[in-house]
Amino acid sequence: MQAALFYFFAALTLVCGALIILNRNPINSAMFLVLSIASMAGLFVLLHAFFLAAVQVLVYAGAVMVLFLFVIMLLDLKEEDRRKFNLFGIITGVISVAAIAYISFAAIRSGSASVSRTASDIEGGTLPLGKLLFTNYLLPFEILSVLLLVAMVGVILLSKKDLK
Amino acid sequence: MSYLQLLGLVAPETIVVITALVVLGLDLLILREQPLRHRFWMGAAFAAFGCVLAAAWLLFINSPTHPAGEVSGALPLLRGMFVDDGLVRLVKVALLGLTVFTIAISMESSFTGHVGEYLALILLATVGMMFLVSAEDILMIFISLELTSLSLYILTAFNKRNVKSAEAALKYFLFGGMSAAFTLFGLSLVYGLSGSTGLREIAAKLEQPALDPLLVAAIVMTVIGFGFKVAAVPFHLWAPDAYQGAPTPSAAFIASGSKVASFFVFAKVMMLGFAHAGGSGSWHAYAPGWLPVLAVVAVASMLLGNLAAIAQSNVKRLLAYSAIAHGGYALLGILANGPSGVTSLVYYVVTYGLTVLGAFGVVGLVEERAGEARISDFAGLGRREPLLAFCMMIFMLSLAGIPPLAGFFGKFYVFTAAVGGAKDLGLLWLVIFAIAMSAVSLYYYLQVLKQIYVVPVSAESGSLGAPISSRIVLAVIAFGVVALGCAPDFLVGRLLAAIKLAAL
Repeated sequence: MQAALFYFFAALTLVCGALIILNRNPINSAMFLVLSIASMAGLFVLLHAFFLAAVQVLVYAGAVMVLFLFVIMLLDLKEEDRRKFNLFGIITGVISVAAIAYISFAAIRSGSASVSRTASDIEGGTLPLGKLLFTNYLLPFEILSVLLLVAMVGVILLSKKDLK
Repeated sequence: MSYLQLLGLVAPETIVVITALVVLGLDLLILREQPLRHRFWMGAAFAAFGCVLAAAWLLFINSPTHPAGEVSGALPLLRGMFVDDGLVRLVKVALLGLTVFTIAISMESSFTGHVGEYLALILLATVGMMFLVSAEDILMIFISLELTSLSLYILTAFNKRNVKSAEAALKYFLFGGMSAAFTLFGLSLVYGLSGSTGLREIAAKLEQPALDPLLVAAIVMTVIGFGFKVAAVPFHLWAPDAYQGAPTPSAAFIASGSKVASFFVFAKVMMLGFAHAGGSGSWHAYAPGWLPVLAVVAVASMLLGNLAAIAQSNVKRLLAYSAIAHGGYALLGILANGPSGVTSLVYYVVTYGLTVLGAFGVVGLVEERAGEARISDFAGLGRREPLLAFCMMIFMLSLAGIPPLAGFFGKFYVFTAAVGGAKDLGLLWLVIFAIAMSAVSLYYYLQVLKQIYVVPVSAESGSLGAPISSRIVLAVIAFGVVALGCAPDFLVGRLLAAIKLAAL
């Protein structure tokens, strides 16, 4: 059951991810992004990370994506033109994708990439997460708050019209 | 460990954060109505004071006397997230010094009215760099890298009257976003392979003779991510545009402070995290690992950076390509893969940062007057502005690596470390190539000097009218470059002593 669900959500994430890029209508792309984020939330649930799954849906699929859609509609983006691809881009792109695919398959076949986790390790509830955030991961947590401050200052600065 | 102890441990960073907030508030609340120059002076003075205070704390208070392993062992709460040893402290002090100089050369500029935000972002970027230098944990490395990068993107876009600034920032941001994705992917693979985030634990887990294919992917992606940050070929595409479009002090900061921090953490990730996956980049003894990857990147950087710099007519672009080339030389320090490599790398990037900061300072003054920074705008500077021209000569010759300036000893240490770092002089081919390339680089640095001293002054261009404070700052930087060159032991001796304790 779990394995089946994992493959379902993983495939859904990948397909939606591809559709985000392939779609030429920005609104459709954004909607597929919502779907891919939602299926990623499913993957988090399978990992017992319930809080992350909820946040993923609430914050990303909910709040952030609504803002995305607002911006897209405010800017009134039209469908993208069909782009011409240059040969150099195609060749280098294919080479790098093929290399990464080859390495991934080699890694899966050799089956070494497994760090076993005991059940007690995987706790994704709010309580253990909060405890971790304020003990082991306090420092990164605080730095993130500084990072958000930088982002806020930057956005206000860049979007504000200079009164001159 | 209590929260108070934690606060004491990160006190210098906290001081800088608080300074940033106070500068922001001071400018918004009190200095609002003052003239721009006044606001810049007050804000800059306060910001510099905060940096000096933090540096003083690092140098004099609670100086760590025991090696790094013991410190991180004594603080189970942090587990390598925040390392505080002599080496890290030295690099942080150097970073704070570069920040103070960046603030000093931006004091007289007029590209923005948002003084408080500008200074606060510079300080917060510095905080990111300081945490970056301290981090021996991939989570911390990623977060502080992002804090630094985000501040730098905004600093690049700061000149809102210039379209080029916005374009440069967008390019920088998009490339940076891509590189962050690569870094994160690579680091998450590392976490998946080792099950831990601390660099030393990762190295212990990955200790096996055969290279796991996933580890190969992880190494390549991490190199791509950091390669973007240090602008190494083929991940350099953002650098020329960002340097040219960004306000000059921001470009100077990107070229100096962020390079120091990025290179230091790059070296740490490679030498500590992938300690057993080095392989060999020697001429006849090739073995897969990160060393050959970096060797290729270093060769490409030196080749393309130096050759492309020859064709530039804008000094800021020229400095960007020269920065790419210098990135290539600095990679030799990482390739040396040992304590001598780290010593030479830190000395190299710190002196390079100082030199390029000064060069950008002079370029900024010329640009303010001429509107652009073409090489021809420097014509006759030797007679128009003898002092500035002399400073520029020192910076250019130091970048080219002429003794007795700091740039020469930087290259010298890096090259000797690289020769001694591999078995049987295996990296000698790389060093010979680097020396040949730095001979090429002399050409374009001398092109600039030729404009300054040989080309006659055109009738209408007089003195630059540069304020006295800028002259003093540039003279001080030039003096620093000469002094570090004449007495390299001042820095190198301390670095060696610190590294012995740090057990890197």
